[in-house]
Amino acid sequence: MSAEATYLYAVIRPLPSGALDDLTGISGGRVRTLEREGLGCVVSTVSLDEFGEQELAANLNELTWLERVAREHDAVVRAAAQLTTTAPLRMATVCHDDAAALAKLDELGSRATAVLDRLDGRIEWGVKVYATTRPAQVPVAAGTTSGADYLRRRKQESVERQAADAAAGEQADAVYTALAGDSVAGRRHHVQDRQLTGVDEPMLLNAAFLVEHANAQRFANAIDELAERYPAIRLERTGPWPPYSFASLDPS
Amino acid sequence: MTDVPAGVDRSTLARPDPSALARPDTAGLADVLERVLDKGIVIAGDIRVNLLDIELLTIKIRLLVASVDKAREMGIDWWEHDPELSSRHGELERENQELRSRIEALEGARPERPS
Repeated sequence: MSAEATYLYAVIRPLPSGALDDLTGISGGRVRTLEREGLGCVVSTVSLDEFGEQELAANLNELTWLERVAREHDAVVRAAAQLTTTAPLRMATVCHDDAAALAKLDELGSRATAVLDRLDGRIEWGVKVYATTRPAQVPVAAGTTSGADYLRRRKQESVERQAADAAAGEQADAVYTALAGDSVAGRRHHVQDRQLTGVDEPMLLNAAFLVEHANAQRFANAIDELAERYPAIRLERTGPWPPYSFASLDPS
Repeated sequence: MTDVPAGVDRSTLARPDPSALARPDTAGLADVLERVLDKGIVIAGDIRVNLLDIELLTIKIRLLVASVDKAREMGIDWWEHDPELSSRHGELERENQELRSRIEALEGARPERPS
């Protein structure tokens, strides 16, 4: 078995040959493009010592490796997306050699073309919404120390907290609806855990929006305006991204 | 191999916007991982897929990542939201639990070492 393999980053509308030659890919591999029947593919050569099935399984468990490769994958996808319509492939798509990669491209055929048609001239913005207002504890009135008072106070706190959560949730939904209306398409991803975000407040919305490149700035401004309109939530904008969240073979 | 033929002017390449998408390092790791591992077109690479079909492969990769202690600490928990994954995860948990109780039982049954 060959000690090398072909790593696939993205399906693209074909570029002039050599367009990505300056680019370094995963683990220092030189980025190349393959082309077949009006479809292109961004690839580089990787070592099976790193990407063989067993080795990959072990490496995915090394967060340092995972982060490096994820960022290298992302950097190549971004570079391609600056030059042409780019549909990212899931990280760690590895073929035996270029011929096998081209066979995959053949297999994708018109389905990949349909994805590229959907992504032409469009980019992705990410929007995360966090709750901000947690009602402060109701102060204890001087001299009220009875058990009944205590229970009443706790009940009051719980009611207020629920109301605040509900209000923040509604505002997050309103943000999603507004931005979905302003974009080509919207997707709600799973909200990220607090440990992952490093933010104390719970994440209420983790969304991605597909936006015409020409409208990218206007859309970013719309996000910022919504941030001012809804005080009970905090909006965080990420991007622009290559259209990762919208590169799916089955549109839904 | 592709090389730039002499005379190809790169500035004529279609370029939506040179400044857009140009800040790869500032994105948070969670957002990058979410996108490169959980989004994007899924096709079966033939190196990884000797036996598994692509869906299984995807699940496997996600499970592997999800099983990283560090990733767990970071709260990467895709499997909890995925019915197929969570059932597989549940199986693993059960299996784990079962093994643990068996070890405990075995250790409990072992005679005390003479002191």
